[in-house]
Amino acid sequence: MNRVTALAVSVVCIGLVVAQDVAPLADFFHTWQYATALALGALVLIAYANAALKGQDGMLGKRCTLAIAGALVVTLTGIVSGLLGPDTQRVTHAPGTVAPIPDLHAAAFFTAADAQSIAAGNAPIVIRRPGHRDVEVGPNERRFLQSSVLLLQPTHAAFVEVRDASGDRLTVTQPTNASFLSPVLLFPNEQEIAGKKLPFDTFAVPALQRVVKTVYLPGEMTTSLRVPPSYAGKPALLFAVDDDRGSSHGIAIAPDGLDVTIAGMRLRGTIGSYPTLVVASAPEPIALAAGVALFLAGITWMLIGFVAGRPAALTVKSPSGS
Amino acid sequence: MRTFLAAAAAIVAVLVVIAFYPGGGPKLNLNATGGPRMLAGAPAQSFPVKRIDGAADGLDRYRGQVVVMNLWATWCPPCREEMPALQKLYEEYHPRGVIVLGVDQGEASRVAAKYAREHGVTYPILIDEDQQYGRAYAAVGLPTTIVIGRDGHIVKGIDGQLTLAQMREALAPALRAQ
Repeated sequence: MNRVTALAVSVVCIGLVVAQDVAPLADFFHTWQYATALALGALVLIAYANAALKGQDGMLGKRCTLAIAGALVVTLTGIVSGLLGPDTQRVTHAPGTVAPIPDLHAAAFFTAADAQSIAAGNAPIVIRRPGHRDVEVGPNERRFLQSSVLLLQPTHAAFVEVRDASGDRLTVTQPTNASFLSPVLLFPNEQEIAGKKLPFDTFAVPALQRVVKTVYLPGEMTTSLRVPPSYAGKPALLFAVDDDRGSSHGIAIAPDGLDVTIAGMRLRGTIGSYPTLVVASAPEPIALAAGVALFLAGITWMLIGFVAGRPAALTVKSPSGS
Repeated sequence: MRTFLAAAAAIVAVLVVIAFYPGGGPKLNLNATGGPRMLAGAPAQSFPVKRIDGAADGLDRYRGQVVVMNLWATWCPPCREEMPALQKLYEEYHPRGVIVLGVDQGEASRVAAKYAREHGVTYPILIDEDQQYGRAYAAVGLPTTIVIGRDGHIVKGIDGQLTLAQMREALAPALRAQ
């Protein structure tokens, strides 16, 4: 085992673990092959360090073990995240609700959302753990907790408002949803229309005994539908209203933010997105940074030793002394 | 060199301990299956809303008092049946510093105000048009009743209609906790 091989293995291991930190959702980083590769790398590094510490690679070898130690820290961080980190999970919950994340011994608070925040798609999710500060995860952020990375992925959402004929607001319920009183539709199901599978959800208006099936129509479908010209090419909602005995009371297409009147109700859907929380295993960032720093320090120390130990000819003065 | 490696190993061990230390403080209930019952012990969330008279209000304004918060709507038959008992509870316990708070879910202020007036409801009624309280308190139906202690933490969450005796029973632990 020579020094160049050990350093090459170090670089590969560090590269793999850093890549896992950059792209924690990539499938490769959650396979046994990845963990095995890191474990083999760790064995190579330990074998070299053991030999170098016995003096088998001279002074530079001893200095090199500092870099190897840093690489080992990084490699072990990667292995630990694979063994102890959670399987990748995506948690979708209604705004204002709480979802337990047992792997992190934490709870995710899905922040309340009104029509404006659904339209803007900027709702954060707050992670609470006993004895720790709250961690807020924003739309384009990532946060590390233990051996996990938390990030948000936007999902289709619509905030629905229902009014009666006189304009009074009516309660919206989702009897088939875990969040019974949510006016935010998250479209967990699919409905096939014109050969396309489209996001689908259902809500009820109990005051009028109405059930409203709602399909999310993507922008490319609204170009051929009867919507105001300024809304063509933009997402819209298709509302199909039944009574609670299943009789149909009509269908309407509602462009984003516009009222439609159907079955004695005024319906409005504000279209946007609401985040799904993604939890994936990832190397612990502090340990990763410490390992990389140790590796770089070792390389530097080794280079200093290399320069200092170069042949004296480089620094010998000329015989003339001029 | 061996000393250095030992130090590096110690640093790694400390980092691992820091990363996986579960921490102290109050426990979160992570094994609950859902519904308002799972909220016991959690801090009560508040959202700014209006009363039926148009005044600004919200649960946080009652911090320091025991609050019986009832989520309801005028279209909900069990909610309507429960309201006389809530009114009695309010009259009985309000002198002892207990607040009964009705939070109408998703209806217009005019509708809730009319109902409260016609049925002699005198405890405060809040209008939660966006149904934020219903979601935050994990309501799986209406009515839903949440008892909140003086410290702002949820003592009990109950799904479904309650009798006056059940309300008194639910309230007792919050009153005992001084």
